[in-house]
Amino acid sequence: MHVTVVSPERAVFDGSADAVVAPAYDGQVGILPRHAPFLTLLGTGVLRVQQGSASSRFQVAGGFLQVVGDAVRVVADRVDAS
Amino acid sequence: MAKPRELRRRIKSVQSTRKITKTMELVATSKLKRAQDRVVAARPYATALAEVIGDLYAPELAERFPLLRQPARDGHGRRVALVVITANRGLCGAFNANLIREARRRIEQLEAEGTGVDLHLIGKKGITYFKFAKRAAASQRTDVGDKPKAEHAAEIVGPLMSQFEAGALDAVEVVFAQFKSAVSTPPTTLRILPITPPRADGRTGGRADAVQSQTASPADRPSAAFYILKPSADAILEQLLPLYVRNQLYRALVETAAAFLGAQRTAMKNATDNAGEIIELLQRTYNRARQAQITQELAEIVGGAEALKG
Repeated sequence: MHVTVVSPERAVFDGSADAVVAPAYDGQVGILPRHAPFLTLLGTGVLRVQQGSASSRFQVAGGFLQVVGDAVRVVADRVDAS
Repeated sequence: MAKPRELRRRIKSVQSTRKITKTMELVATSKLKRAQDRVVAARPYATALAEVIGDLYAPELAERFPLLRQPARDGHGRRVALVVITANRGLCGAFNANLIREARRRIEQLEAEGTGVDLHLIGKKGITYFKFAKRAAASQRTDVGDKPKAEHAAEIVGPLMSQFEAGALDAVEVVFAQFKSAVSTPPTTLRILPITPPRADGRTGGRADAVQSQTASPADRPSAAFYILKPSADAILEQLLPLYVRNQLYRALVETAAAFLGAQRTAMKNATDNAGEIIELLQRTYNRARQAQITQELAEIVGGAEALKG
């Protein structure tokens, strides 16, 4: 599935991934391929994007996560590398 | 005719000016490149936000969200905050003057309708002008510079949003330089509050520009009813609307910063070209003056020799 992580200033991540674990407003959510269309608010915490055995981590706060078809979009108000 | 020595001095002076303007042109060009990248890099976020808000928005929600509330009062007694973005520096042609003119035009227009205007000035040039015009500003700041951050936008627009929600303001508008290209940067007034809801196809309602859907056309995206929404459409919208307002101001800041560098590059290029022309002209005059002097000296020597012979 295709994952993009964007902050107000730039796109932080853009590529395919096997799983996304995001801090939603009420706890962690895990997104695997073929997830149903989904839209949720983000809280504060660590976003993990899993690509095979490697994973990228970002500290995010605010914004939303959207799953449409095979695309996951994380649009966060603040994104810092962590 | 001017003395050769005088001319030589002027040539030197113009040459050193040209060196400065040439360097400034190069600096502006390289900064412009990065500023342009920032304008482009800010687009995915704006697009995504506009798309989702467009999906969730329904006209009947307008009364429930203070940020969407259209002012009921009109004309007299209304209060509008005008955020005027200018550069901190000059040497950029009419760039700041154009922004200030646009701001003055808008102020006059609003005041003619009987609307009160709060000025929020960003950038030294705007502050200096309105101080000169003896107009008090509600707030002013000069720390934004060439590389605006999302936090700057949040700090500026945060208090305005709460005033708007409290009903102390009826609208918030921004005067900024729209960055169409490095040479086309028209000063523009954009209303950021009340929010003009973006249409569901991801274009913003307020401005018909480059915010367009990149990921999918509206036809193959599910509508709001199709999503699993957590916590709920209302709650999501409530969180995202302030982000949208902030982002609009952020984009105005980034575009103005890029537009400033574009204007500065053009101005410095013109200055460099002009200096080149002046140098050429002075050089020619100098050569002629020098030649005339030599000719005259020769004539004097020859004349003197003739006189001795006689």
